[in-house]
Amino acid sequence: MFGKVLIANRGEIALRVHRACQEMGIQTVAVHSTADNTAMHVRLADESVCIGPPAARDSYLNMAAIISAAAITGADAIHPGYGFLSENANFAEMVEAHGMAFIGPSPAHIRMMGDKIAAKDAMRRLGVPLVPGSLGALETFEEARAVAEQILYPVLIKAAAGGGGRGMKVARGPDELEEAFRVARAESKAAFGDDSVYMEKYLDRPRHIEMQVMADNHGDVVHFGERDCSLQRRHQKLVEEAGSPVLSAAERDDLGAQVTTALRGLGYRNAGTLEFLWQDGQFSFIEMNTRLQVEHPVTEMVCNVDLVKEQVRIAAGERLGYTQDQVRFSGHAIECRITAEDPETFVPSPGRVDMYHAPGGLGVRVDSALYSGYTVPPHYDSLVAKLVVHGQTRAEAIARLKRALAEMVVSGIKTTLPLHQRIVADPEFQAGEYTIHWLEKFVSRGG
Amino acid sequence: MSGVQFDPAAIRELAKILRETDLTEIELVDKDARIRVARQITVQAVHATMAAPAAAPTATAPVAAIEAVSDAAHPGAVVSPMVGVAYLSPEPGAAPFVQLGARVAQGQTLLLIEAMKTFNQIRAPRAGVVARILIDPGSPVEYGEPLMIIE
Repeated sequence: MFGKVLIANRGEIALRVHRACQEMGIQTVAVHSTADNTAMHVRLADESVCIGPPAARDSYLNMAAIISAAAITGADAIHPGYGFLSENANFAEMVEAHGMAFIGPSPAHIRMMGDKIAAKDAMRRLGVPLVPGSLGALETFEEARAVAEQILYPVLIKAAAGGGGRGMKVARGPDELEEAFRVARAESKAAFGDDSVYMEKYLDRPRHIEMQVMADNHGDVVHFGERDCSLQRRHQKLVEEAGSPVLSAAERDDLGAQVTTALRGLGYRNAGTLEFLWQDGQFSFIEMNTRLQVEHPVTEMVCNVDLVKEQVRIAAGERLGYTQDQVRFSGHAIECRITAEDPETFVPSPGRVDMYHAPGGLGVRVDSALYSGYTVPPHYDSLVAKLVVHGQTRAEAIARLKRALAEMVVSGIKTTLPLHQRIVADPEFQAGEYTIHWLEKFVSRGG
Repeated sequence: MSGVQFDPAAIRELAKILRETDLTEIELVDKDARIRVARQITVQAVHATMAAPAAAPTATAPVAAIEAVSDAAHPGAVVSPMVGVAYLSPEPGAAPFVQLGARVAQGQTLLLIEAMKTFNQIRAPRAGVVARILIDPGSPVEYGEPLMIIE
């Protein structure tokens, strides 16, 4: 087992990784920018190294500084968290080249899934259901038109180097196709340095359902069930649930079996999440994330598993030690992502939190780096807390979430707490009746 | 709580250091033992950085590296622009780049910081006299860490 792990991230996830390592008796090294000098995980870590000024490019994305920090502290392994360098195959390779373990999948799989066309290709060959679409990159507009006529409008043109909802253009009919195609290519080139685009059928009312998988370095793969992450605004998830209100246990087992078979075929290692669109009972693979996800806590609550510890154990060469039939699903969990933003305009609201009070009680978990007197810096994303509840049923989880949201206090900055309270009180949310478009409509009608 | 070993002289000494340097908190860690001395002021304290045990000749307890707020804020402070290991000589056994009290010109090499097998020259930002050398040769340094004071 590792003696020392360097945490190449910040905020709540850095604290999350520190906690798991601490419980495993592993020393932690927190690397941080000058803006994070007083961050909670920096205070708690066994060692800390300041690696740069506030800008992410010069600190949390600064591979040389992070590797140097690992070298001078003698870290055995690096956990990249999510975002930042977690899906940077070059960084993963560099970590390994320096004799340290990268706590995550292999660089080859990170690279494969980072190219959305290659990812779909791999999944197609492994028998995972896909959204109908082009078989590869669209080289010409004529090719685009031919594919669109085959899969039928409306269609979506997507950047191969994109992902996470970025670089997508809809064409509802043949008259919109040319513009969508050309603009998508130009935007993709500008944003990702690569103008490769592909096409998919546009689903008009899908749910976003993703599957959590975990594989060790010895060929054992299990899934930990699904998460429904349909509640999104501008492709950013706000609320996630484990399991999905619309799936039966049989449907979960079925998809889970397909997914684990595919990953076994790939020789995948460590944590991963396969994202699907679900519409009319059909699953369509859209992309795979080769890292731990923000919303991993809801899976942990339902399956009674510590996914970060599993990542560390696997990276250290240990076997999973359990099979699929030993993975049990119990109750229902919901997570609210609380951000430092105005709950109506979403204008960022960094600044000093003069009073922070986390809710408590049975089945309530808060993953947050906040504390009273902490100043939320303006340089990074606005997530400040994840409020996660578990209940024996979805109804109990919702009641618990309402209660916990009402107890939570974050004052001194604006947060989306009031928005979450309105979402949880909504009858459609309570009925589980929502698609990926629901939240945008809810927000725009001032719900 | 009986039988707790602590050194009253060490605590008094730490309290004195707190007052003299305007720090608000000092924490010493040595394997299982931990002493923390703190006082309330409105100024936010800079916490102790890496625990690099540097045994002082007559100290009764190993001292953790303490980053005093006053050093980094000194107008003549030369701070590290990167993470790495600092060396005061061009190579082992050679004379150091600068000595205490030496006059240096702007741009003159003061020390090296090694990171990922490359050596980076750290140069004097302005002409002056080397008033203090804050790091030991071969010690790890982080971004922003004060290295020398040039007055």
